This record gives sequence, structure tokens and C-alpha cells, in this order.
Amino acid sequence: MARDGESTGAPEPAKLIARIAKQRDKEAFASLFGAFAPRIKALMLRGGATPELAEDIAQETLLVVWRKAQTYKPEKAGASTWIFTIARNLRIDRLRRDGPKKGQHLYEAVEPEEPQRPDSAVEDRQHEDRLREALKDLPEDQMQVLQMSFFDDDSHSEIAQKQDIPLGTVKSRLRLAIRKLRENLDDMS
Amino acid sequence: MTIAHHPTEETLAAFAAGRLHEAEGIVVAAHLRQCAACRSTVAMLETAAGVMLEALEPVAMSEGALENALAKLNGQAEESGAIPVLTTREGDLPAVLRPLLSGHDLGPWRRIGLGLKMRSVSVAAEERSRLFMLQAEPGTKIPHHRHTGREWTCVVQGAFRHEHGRFGPGDFDEADDDVEHHPFVEEGERCICLVAMSGGIELQGWLGRMIQPLVRL
Repeated sequence: MARDGESTGAPEPAKLIARIAKQRDKEAFASLFGAFAPRIKALMLRGGATPELAEDIAQETLLVVWRKAQTYKPEKAGASTWIFTIARNLRIDRLRRDGPKKGQHLYEAVEPEEPQRPDSAVEDRQHEDRLREALKDLPEDQMQVLQMSFFDDDSHSEIAQKQDIPLGTVKSRLRLAIRKLRENLDDMS
Repeated sequence: MTIAHHPTEETLAAFAAGRLHEAEGIVVAAHLRQCAACRSTVAMLETAAGVMLEALEPVAMSEGALENALAKLNGQAEESGAIPVLTTREGDLPAVLRPLLSGHDLGPWRRIGLGLKMRSVSVAAEERSRLFMLQAEPGTKIPHHRHTGREWTCVVQGAFRHEHGRFGPGDFDEADDDVEHHPFVEEGERCICLVAMSGGIELQGWLGRMIQPLVRL
């Protein structure tokens, strides 16, 4: 079991989720917990959560994975992407002073009702492999701004201050990074 | 129908990261429901976030966290992911908005002057922006005004024009502080928009200043 937070050598996360879905496999859950809970905790701390809240969201995220394992569609999103979105949505609910929103979660209401093209799911997974490569190729300064604007509890002007660069540069680096990642995927289709 | 105006990349990134205020997030979602291109950008950004999450330096969970979680597993009900029943009672809501506004309280339509009607939508208590639907009769001219905060608009039906072009169904208008404009609604169809607004508006010119007290936004 990967209990030390290292995912290297451990079974693929998507397979662990499948084992949970099919067999309610607690060992698979423990592996997934070991790989992801400490990273979600890190993510939440970066976003300004207290250690208690960060740990709470990390634990609750994995419990949601356990409950919703059957709804996970590996052909649609990578395991880490799915887990990220669960943690993100939980964080939004926890930060609301008057409790979680009633009704459908905003992020689940974004997809229009008509069904997707049947081949688009296959594309989604190919996209992920391409995206991994494209992220590696991103210049360091763009990667940094992308990460900061995703994970940190800073506005773009706070990022500018910390990096000692003009606000316009923060925005243009972020735009460049996103456009570059997009072009990479668009080239494929 | 082609969408000409999209949210900026920064806005899509903030949405994917879960870092927008609720009102603003809902207006972005209204655009996304109508724009496959921006949906795929958001999906790409979520994938990027997943990849970056894998690479984050882990922070150890406290002693016994795993055992604690394991002990809770038996009490967890499985969820099939069935779409919950919508709680919005309003059958007259445009289809695009129905799932987005489920669970929110909607106010009555009320006249706010200038040929406009608005209907407020409840958002979380700590919100610094307000969310409302805005409805304007065809041909309405809105006096020259300046925004004192951010105003994000997604067109649901009909169209308006201002200095930055024509905004039809699905178009997203991101007006930040200090934008001055002078919109008018196209002839033909009634225009309905979903708007997130922080701050307020200041009407410009002698006519604007005169009617400002009559406009209740």
C-alpha cells in the first residue's frame, strides 16, 4: 500500500477507482488515499485554508470518491482531474457561510442536456496525454503564473507583487500559457 | 448562431479553479452552456489542474487520518450520480438558465425605469456581487453610463449593441471597473440577460444625472 504519499510504483489511480466501484475494495481506497489526500491537503493549504479545513476537505474528497466511484468515467477524464474537481467543488461548498447550495452543483449544470458526440470521449483521453507533454514544454515563468492563479489564494495583482512583475505581464503570461495549451490540442483535431 | 464574445482566459481559468464569486461563476456557466469552445477550454484547464495536483509536494495527513477515513466507509451510501430534481419552480425561465438557477430564490420581475425590468436571484450571503436577470424591450436605449465595479453579462435571448460590438444569445460581456458605455437593444426580440454586478452604475450626462434617482438597480 502506498501510505507515504508517493504514487510511483503504485497501481494506476483509474484502476484503483474501478476496484472501488466494482468490489468496494478498501485496500484500493487506502492506496488512493495515500496518493491523493496529502496532495489535496497541500492544494488546500496553498489556497489559504487552515490546516484543519485542508485536512477535512482532503478526507471528504476521498470519501466522495468512495461514494461516487461508479459514476467515474475513465474515458472522459483522468483520475486526478476527477479528484481535483471533487475537491474544488467541496471547497466551494465549505466556504459558503450559509451552507452548501441547494439543488444541483453549478459545475454539474454546465454541460448542456443534449448528448455528446460518441467519439469525443476517446479524444478527451488522447488530449490528456498531449496536455501532459505540453505542460512540460511550457516556459517556467508561464507555468508559475498558471499554477499560482490556479492554486494560490492571490489575486493577479498580488501575484504581480510577489513576482515583482507588472500586472499586465501576469495576465499576458497566463493568456499565453492557456493559448499555447489550447493550440496544442487544436492541432490534433 | 455563432458566439462572438467570450470570457477572457483569466476568467475561464478562475472558473475552472473554483475561484470566482458565486454570481460571476453562474454568469460564466450560462455562457459555457451555450459555447462548446469555452467548455473545452475549461475541461482542458481542469485536466491541467489534475496533472499539477499530481506534481504537488504532499503535506502529510495527521496521525490516524487513513484509519479514520476507513472507519467511515461502511456508513457511506453509494451515489448513482442521478441528476437531482430541479427545485426552481419557475416554468417560465429560459431553458439555458433552469439548471443553473435551481436552488436559488428568484424575486418578482420589477420595473427599474428606462424600459428595463429586473428580477433578482439569490446568492450566498458573503457575496460581494449581485446576480439578476435583466429584460429590455426591443429598441430600448440605455443612457450613457459608467461602471463603478465589475459587470459581467451573458445574453440569453435577443441582442444589444454597444461600442464593442453586437451581443446576441450566448455572448459574454466582461465590463470591468471604469468601462463607460451606451448600449441599445436591437429591434425585433425582447432582450433577456443574466448579469453579475459588483459596485453600481453611474449615469452620465445631464439626462442621466437627472434620472439616476429613478433607476433602482
